[in-house]
Amino acid sequence: MNKKEVLISVKNISKIYELGEIKVKALDSVSLDIYKGDFLIIVGRNGSGKSTLLHQLGLLDKPNFGKIFLQGNEVINMKEKERTKLRLNFLGYIFQEYALIAELSALENVMLPAMMLTSYKSCKHKAKTLLKKVGLEKKSDNLSSQLSGGEQQKVAIARSLINDPMVIFADEPTANLDTVAAKEVLAIFKALNKEGHTIVMVTHEKEEEAYANRIIKLADGKII
Amino acid sequence: MKIKNKFRYESRIPFFLVWKFLRHGNKWTFFLIVFLMSVSFVNLVFVNSLFNGIIKSSNDQIINTYTGNIMLAPNEGQEFFVDTSSIMSKISNVSEIEGKSSQLIIPASLKYKNKKGNWQILAIDPETEKSVTNISEKMIEGSYLSTDDNDGIIIGRQIAGGKDVEMNAFSFKGAKVGDKVTLAFDSISKDYTIRGIFYTKFINTDQRAFVTKKSVEELNALFKDKTNNIILKTSKNASEKKVINELKGENIDANFYTWDEVAGLMTTVAKSFLSINVLMTVVGIIIAAVTIFIVVYVDISNKKQEIGILRAIGIKPYIIRTNYVLQTIVYSFLGVIVGAGIFYLFLVPYFQHRPFELPIGDVVLAVDYFNLIIRGEAVILVGILSGLIPGFMVTRIKLLDAIWGR
Repeated sequence: MNKKEVLISVKNISKIYELGEIKVKALDSVSLDIYKGDFLIIVGRNGSGKSTLLHQLGLLDKPNFGKIFLQGNEVINMKEKERTKLRLNFLGYIFQEYALIAELSALENVMLPAMMLTSYKSCKHKAKTLLKKVGLEKKSDNLSSQLSGGEQQKVAIARSLINDPMVIFADEPTANLDTVAAKEVLAIFKALNKEGHTIVMVTHEKEEEAYANRIIKLADGKII
Repeated sequence: MKIKNKFRYESRIPFFLVWKFLRHGNKWTFFLIVFLMSVSFVNLVFVNSLFNGIIKSSNDQIINTYTGNIMLAPNEGQEFFVDTSSIMSKISNVSEIEGKSSQLIIPASLKYKNKKGNWQILAIDPETEKSVTNISEKMIEGSYLSTDDNDGIIIGRQIAGGKDVEMNAFSFKGAKVGDKVTLAFDSISKDYTIRGIFYTKFINTDQRAFVTKKSVEELNALFKDKTNNIILKTSKNASEKKVINELKGENIDANFYTWDEVAGLMTTVAKSFLSINVLMTVVGIIIAAVTIFIVVYVDISNKKQEIGILRAIGIKPYIIRTNYVLQTIVYSFLGVIVGAGIFYLFLVPYFQHRPFELPIGDVVLAVDYFNLIIRGEAVILVGILSGLIPGFMVTRIKLLDAIWGR
């Protein structure tokens, strides 16, 4: 049996939110490995800690305890500058609320992260290719306000792919979409995974679990 | 990737974002911020120009109605120049002097009906006086003196008095052209007919009266060729100090004063206005800074989520800050241009047609281009700081808080 390459390794991370006097343990000693080629779906009830876990994996937040390794390098104690660099170069993130920049067109939203790394011409070409891939080549000049929810999420997917990330994180990407748009988005994820992209997705839609090749379930901040 | 290329790629992003944000951002916010910047700029420039106008008006009034640019006075211990013709001849040798007038101050009182007062009465040659002061152009009633007028007098509005005259209580309270006034000194007295009333709006000058030298010399031969002051008008850009040095080179035996040395109280007033101007400018800049800061801070705080997204997708915080600093530079630069437009196209012409009427004369806005540029730079600098400080604050908050707009 081929040994799978571990991209991200999580060791006993805990996250505690302090809400005034009250302390809420959102993650409780969670450990997991994410392998290259995974389509990992994290499920659980509201408040189970799914999104919190994804934020730690996507380097959007830091756990209070534990360690996270990205290709063997510990990332929690890195300076924010280094974490920003990792987010840019190795991680793609898709938010539930699309998180597009309203003043930019679909094409410009997709291009933006690549503009940090390559020439304008090159990133424009790549962004156009990615928009074509998600079926939005004809709406590349539209602002996000001129796109439907499903279209905006497809733009966000294209943006997450622009720098050829090691892992794509998606935080309930279909939560605000109608059934048709949700299926289209999931089909894109499936296709991306088939191409070799590693995807980690949070959802609480039972039927979406069918797209995964690994599922982990969280309850009260623990993997069950 | 080469560092040079990396920097080139990164450095274009703030410009790209600024262009897009200004093009597709909220137009009302854009116009509001630019308008606020322009108002701040106009406030700074207006106050400065008003004070400059007051100082300039005061200086012009002193020069044009009272002292000329340079005044010659007899040496200490001497009451008069006794050889006025000779001095005037020597003055003619000096370049950059456009006009000269000798004045004899008559130690006399003026009586009108039952009212008597001691004002400064000067004996002049009306024609040469015209070459230095502009009193001849300020006649509001009657006419100016002619050189051979033996019994004519022109009096300032503050002596003539009348309704709405500031110093009416100490005036003739309504003397008119054609009325007789009596000039009396020692045991001599002479009736003069009021030929005209002048109103320069400079209160010191408007408390003066003028008669011809000829009439005074006929009254008392001792006054012949005697004068107390010689006032000179220099050409427009001449240095008064340089002209005084040239005059000294002509061996003229006199004390030489520039107009501001003679002005005394008015110079003190002008200096006080300068101090107030500086103070008002500092206060204006602080008010502008606070106002601009608040508006830009609110604007940037409303973009917290956007900043969070930019950080989440890997845009470096310094690029995000640069973007907002560039935005505020655009806002403040446009604000300065719009403000300059409002100032030059509306305020300056308006106050040229409707000047402020002050006791030192009509005051219009006097634009000092150096100060204008300084104030423009101050607004832009305040704009930069107003973009930078909230930019720093917002890019340092926790990433998730920023993304959720908290």
